[in-house]
Amino acid sequence: MTAYIAGEKAAFRELFKRYTPLLQRAMARDLRSPEEANDLVQQTFLHLHRSRLDFEPGRKLKPWVFTIALNLKREYFRRSKRRHETSLEDDRIAEPFEGPRGQERSDAARETALALSTLPAEHREVIELHWFGGLSFPEVAEAVGSTVAAVKVRAHRGYVALRARLGDQAPDPDRVADVKPSPEGSH
Amino acid sequence: MDCPEIRDAFVKGELPGGTAVLEHLRSCRQCSELFLHEAELGRSLAVAAGGGMPFEDDLFAKLEADVAQETGLRAWLRSRPTRLRFVAAVLSVLLAVGLGGALHQRADFAEYPLARLVLLLSVYAAGILIAFGKELYLSARRGSHSDHVGLFVGALALPFLIAFAPATEASRHAGPEGALGCFMYGALLTLPTAALLWAFDRDDRPSLRTVCLSAVALGLSASLVLELHCPSGNAQHLLLGHASIGVAWLAAWFLVRRASVRS
Repeated sequence: MTAYIAGEKAAFRELFKRYTPLLQRAMARDLRSPEEANDLVQQTFLHLHRSRLDFEPGRKLKPWVFTIALNLKREYFRRSKRRHETSLEDDRIAEPFEGPRGQERSDAARETALALSTLPAEHREVIELHWFGGLSFPEVAEAVGSTVAAVKVRAHRGYVALRARLGDQAPDPDRVADVKPSPEGSH
Repeated sequence: MDCPEIRDAFVKGELPGGTAVLEHLRSCRQCSELFLHEAELGRSLAVAAGGGMPFEDDLFAKLEADVAQETGLRAWLRSRPTRLRFVAAVLSVLLAVGLGGALHQRADFAEYPLARLVLLLSVYAAGILIAFGKELYLSARRGSHSDHVGLFVGALALPFLIAFAPATEASRHAGPEGALGCFMYGALLTLPTAALLWAFDRDDRPSLRTVCLSAVALGLSASLVLELHCPSGNAQHLLLGHASIGVAWLAAWFLVRRASVRS
């Protein structure tokens, strides 16, 4: 980013290459249309360009980029008045998967995406940023303007709800016996 | 081993294991959830995260074309650091207040109560600074629409609340006349600030948040300018000549927003 601010055009391409797949994944889960997701990714980078002089060297770039992207996504939903819930008929998620187990994987991915879409926005957002955006919990906290502890609590609640929605409601006595988690985790 | 490493292992199709993982799971209840029932949740999320979108090859070319269009005064202004944009916006309000004071002071200025001046300056300044700050700075906590609408209603109500502060005799006995003149005076003096806020906006189409916060800042700025210009404490006059400027700026921003959709 510092190189880009200094005027190196190649640095912008590098940033684009590095963050586009993460942003597309994070955007696509809610939008479920490549065109809309790509449009928001493009807007994110345009905002990044317009805001480049705000970037403080030494600061983490990824949460900053995702803060811009999340704000644009929220504004997009406000404008289009679309619901975040994904459509059962939407099969675009199957496209990237190939090979003999492709259909099986795409079904599983769709099932997970649908289960995710039923979670409260604040839980879903944290899980999506962590899993699809590739952010650590401290980075997620920075991107959503919250604390690490609060973000971890949201992730935990989201995971519990997600397991329940995926049909895994029965507790596993062996696993519970193995693991004695503390309230906040340690990172 | 930490949470991202466990997530990355799942995404790669591996089932994370070993003492390092067990050690992590003992203190991380988030990751523990991923491993329950033969790690079904971890595997499910990994499958969902492993999928991608069909990549649009010319996306970067489109972005480069957008960036190439970022030329001219507005592009330069909105790419300035936020601290600078904030200071410039505040200076434009100070300029309007100074110019308004230089052009025409209220008739009872000499008798103007000091307590009212202090109250007025601090309340209006706080409101304007909050509106500029929320509008211009990037924030993950952007607030809901109801927050912004609440701010706007507060900004509209402020001239009336200020009317209850200690006032001069002239202020108490003024009538409703001259409201149109006040409206024009306040609107004209806040026009440069409005133009600046439009130029500073980094969205191609102003968001509802920007619309509301701009109207708050402009409405309060106009009320501040008019407080030093007009002695009237008449409710009808305040409604039609002072508070109405915030509503007019709100309408103007909505028009800009609509025009941006068409273009």
